[in-house]
Amino acid sequence: MSADVAAGERIEGRCLCGAARFSAELHDAFMSACHCTMCRRWTSGMFMSLAVKPESLKLEDESTFGMFASSAEAERGFCKTCGSPLFWRALDGSSADVSAQAIDDPSRFPFELEIYMDEKPANYGFAGQRRRLTGAEWRAAKEAANG
Amino acid sequence: MAEAAPRTGRCLCGALRFSATPTSLDVDVCHCGMCRRWTGGAFMAAACEAVAIENEAAAGVYRSSDYGERVFCKRCGSSLIWRMQDGSSAHVSVSALDDLSGFALAQEIFIDEKPAFYDFANETRKLTGADFVAMFASAEDGSGQ
Repeated sequence: MSADVAAGERIEGRCLCGAARFSAELHDAFMSACHCTMCRRWTSGMFMSLAVKPESLKLEDESTFGMFASSAEAERGFCKTCGSPLFWRALDGSSADVSAQAIDDPSRFPFELEIYMDEKPANYGFAGQRRRLTGAEWRAAKEAANG
Repeated sequence: MAEAAPRTGRCLCGALRFSATPTSLDVDVCHCGMCRRWTGGAFMAAACEAVAIENEAAAGVYRSSDYGERVFCKRCGSSLIWRMQDGSSAHVSVSALDDLSGFALAQEIFIDEKPAFYDFANETRKLTGADFVAMFASAEDGSGQ
C-alpha cells in the first residue's frame, strides 16, 4: 500500500487538451481497472479509475463536459473538445469513479483491483497479484458495501 | 502477413460507425502521456487502411500534435482512431471492432512514458518513443511531418 495516497485526499484531474477539469475526494486509495465491454468500447482498452466520494466530484466548467447515460444506472463524463474519458458515475449518486490517467502522477496509486474479468478478452492481461472479480462478483460486493 | 478483410466497428453509443482494414492482426499498445489521458488507460489499437467513417457528423476530431489527430464520438466520447493529419496512417481502437477474433497483443510503444503502476503480462516487442519515431521517420522516407 502506497504511503503517498490516502482516502479523503482531494485530487485534481484534466483531459488531454486541458479544457475539462475536475477535482474530487478519494473514496479508495487505489486504482482499479474495468474490463467490461462498455468501458473497453469507450476507452479502447480498459478504464483505469479511482473511486471518489460522489458528492465531492466538482467539474470546473460543466459546459466543457459531454455526458452520456450508458445504462439505466450510470453516466459517463468526457471532454467535448478532445474526447478524453473522465468519469463514470451512478445516476443514483451512490458511487463515482474518475480516470486515474487524468491525474498528473498516476503512479502514486497502487493497482489493487480488476473487475469484469469475464468480459475481458483472453488475449491480454495485466501482470501482478491483485483482486480480480467477475461482473457478478463486483456487483455483489458493491451491494454488500452499500446495503 | 496482411489481414486483408475489412472489419466494422462502432463507438459505445453506436452513433459513430466505421469500417477499417487491419494491416495485420497485431494489437499495438501506446503508453504515451497523451494516449493515456485520452483513453483513461492505454491506447490499444490496430494499424488499419481504408478507414471509412459512416457518418462524419458524429465524429469529433482533436489535433493533438503537429502531425496527429484523434477521432472520438461526440455523443458518448469513445476514443476511436489516432491518425496522421495527412492521411498516411491510422490506428483504430481494437475494442471498437465488432469482431476481435485473431488479434494478439504484439507491441508496446512509448514504453519510456509508461508509469510503473501497471504492466501487461504478455510477451511483446517494446519500443521507446524515440524508437517509434525513428521507425516512423524512416518509413516516411523524409516526406512531410
